Amino acid sequence: MSLELLTLLFFGALLFFLLLGLPLVFVLGGVSVIFLYFTWGPGAFFIVASQMWSTMGSFTLLAIPLFVFMAMILERTGVASSLYRMMHLWWGGVRGGLAIGTVGICALFGAMCGISGAAVVTMGTIALPSMLERGYDKRMALGCINAGGGFGILIPPSVIMILYALITGDSVGKLFAAGILPGLLLLVLISGYIAIRCWLQPELGPALPPAERGTWRERLLALRAVLLPMLIVVMVLGSIIGGIATPTEAAALGVAGALVSAAVHRRLDWALIREASRRTFRLTGMIVWILFAAHAFSSAYQGMGAQDLIRELVLDLPGGPWATVILFQLVIFLMAMVLDPLGIMLITLPVFVPVIVALGFDPIWFGILFIINMEIGYMTPPFGFNLFYLKGIVPPSISMTDIYRSVIPYALVMILAMAIIMVFPRIATYLPGLLF
Amino acid sequence: MNVLCRFARGITRLNDRIGAVAAYLVLPIFALLLLEVGLRYWLGRPAVWTGELAQMLFGAYALLSGAYLLVHSGHANVDILHGALPPRARAAVDVATSVLLFVFIGALLYFGSSIAWQSTARLETSMSAWNPPIWPLKLLIPIAALLVLLQGLAKLIADLQALGLLPADEEVLPEAEGQEKGL
Repeated sequence: MSLELLTLLFFGALLFFLLLGLPLVFVLGGVSVIFLYFTWGPGAFFIVASQMWSTMGSFTLLAIPLFVFMAMILERTGVASSLYRMMHLWWGGVRGGLAIGTVGICALFGAMCGISGAAVVTMGTIALPSMLERGYDKRMALGCINAGGGFGILIPPSVIMILYALITGDSVGKLFAAGILPGLLLLVLISGYIAIRCWLQPELGPALPPAERGTWRERLLALRAVLLPMLIVVMVLGSIIGGIATPTEAAALGVAGALVSAAVHRRLDWALIREASRRTFRLTGMIVWILFAAHAFSSAYQGMGAQDLIRELVLDLPGGPWATVILFQLVIFLMAMVLDPLGIMLITLPVFVPVIVALGFDPIWFGILFIINMEIGYMTPPFGFNLFYLKGIVPPSISMTDIYRSVIPYALVMILAMAIIMVFPRIATYLPGLLF
Repeated sequence: MNVLCRFARGITRLNDRIGAVAAYLVLPIFALLLLEVGLRYWLGRPAVWTGELAQMLFGAYALLSGAYLLVHSGHANVDILHGALPPRARAAVDVATSVLLFVFIGALLYFGSSIAWQSTARLETSMSAWNPPIWPLKLLIPIAALLVLLQGLAKLIADLQALGLLPADEEVLPEAEGQEKGL
């Protein structure tokens, strides 16, 4: 059988079984084992089983349960509500101020946790009812929570970045550093959009009446809310960037910080620990088992020679290097409509990253584009995690259509941010170059 | 209650229990890594065993999650078509696609066993400064694969019951909790 046909059959089978709803781990594992058997013979499985052992021994991977655990705890502590109160007092007087403040809190959450869910759930339960009560347009309010929720994966620490580094062999620290400026860029662009829109159409996000804005004394006291989160950010990010701790050790420091903040807010009890442990187990287990199967997948894929085939095909594309980058981003965007981020990374990165490097681009920069793309995927239908999180917590007066329509302007702002980072790659590569 | 039914219920309960306990392994992993950072930076004296022990616990944690996730439908899948199917059609599709589960887990069980056997026969240790025995962890690979395989059979029995191909007197699987989304 020709290589072209075999490759087509391989990816066709993956797609077919995925659409039939079989979990990704068994699709990747099962299809690859069958192809390995017919191309390399049963001897190839030894490699798969022994690579499984090296996955279990990956010190970088060990950071994942800790970052997840930390997020699960922070989600249940009162950190978010005191932050929201502080923000309400400081920003309430500005048109659209509550929405801008919500995006800011999401960014702070992004700098504390490595996953996106925590910010969406907490802000959806705290900020959304409050904004709706004060006459904010529902699409404005929904959209800013949805967009802000995506910061979790772009602003370090980020579990997606750890996985990206693991798959491509890049440094976790560099990726973390690369995410900071693009994260701030997005924060500025999204806040800017809200501010301009609400300035032109005050009915979308009216300023609060002076009685609700609080006195200076109240405002200054409310600032206490920022202390603990800032301390956690400094402990986790500071220790990684300062070279004091590995990302894994920093994650352990972060868990300690999250536990302390739960205790300060008087939420620390056994029920919290039990719930957080169970959810962490499920998310981590899901990731690691997919990685187990991924070894079979990459062995089969490389064993067939499909990697070289696809590289040659792509290098022959008309339009030059930039057309290739844009094409890759489009493919990733389309895949994000049906597949979860880890699946997309495992299937596309072994194909795309070598091509990107061969074309002379920086793989770290490509990683940042990839992650912003995932962020857009999180907030757009049909598979956006954030949409479903929101649907689970909004009042019944808000329909799925409202949620869908709310994301349109925010998704456009994010696409603009991607374009800016493509044109000015230094935004992503400056800090890693400076720090490492 | 027939034999298959009892088998499926027993396996499901076993995997659920194992998972419920293994989930707490994240706590000692956290404590060990915190201890490692503490010892190194405040006492200036790293311990040889903290990081490695945390790593070994993580290995067990990861392995044991496989069957537990299968019990609670926690493995990530694409639900667009699958979720829209009526229950009987979904059960039929699941029976057909379960072949891939058995192929993958079967291969893992077979080759995992041979790795575990080699390691256990010579009571392998890690050869690090601390040098703990690692054969128990290697032995856990085929055990975890076996647990997933058995849980796959339990799920198959439940699907066949849903199709009316096996007598069903009781539910064998708990209510699905779904995936933990949002990486």
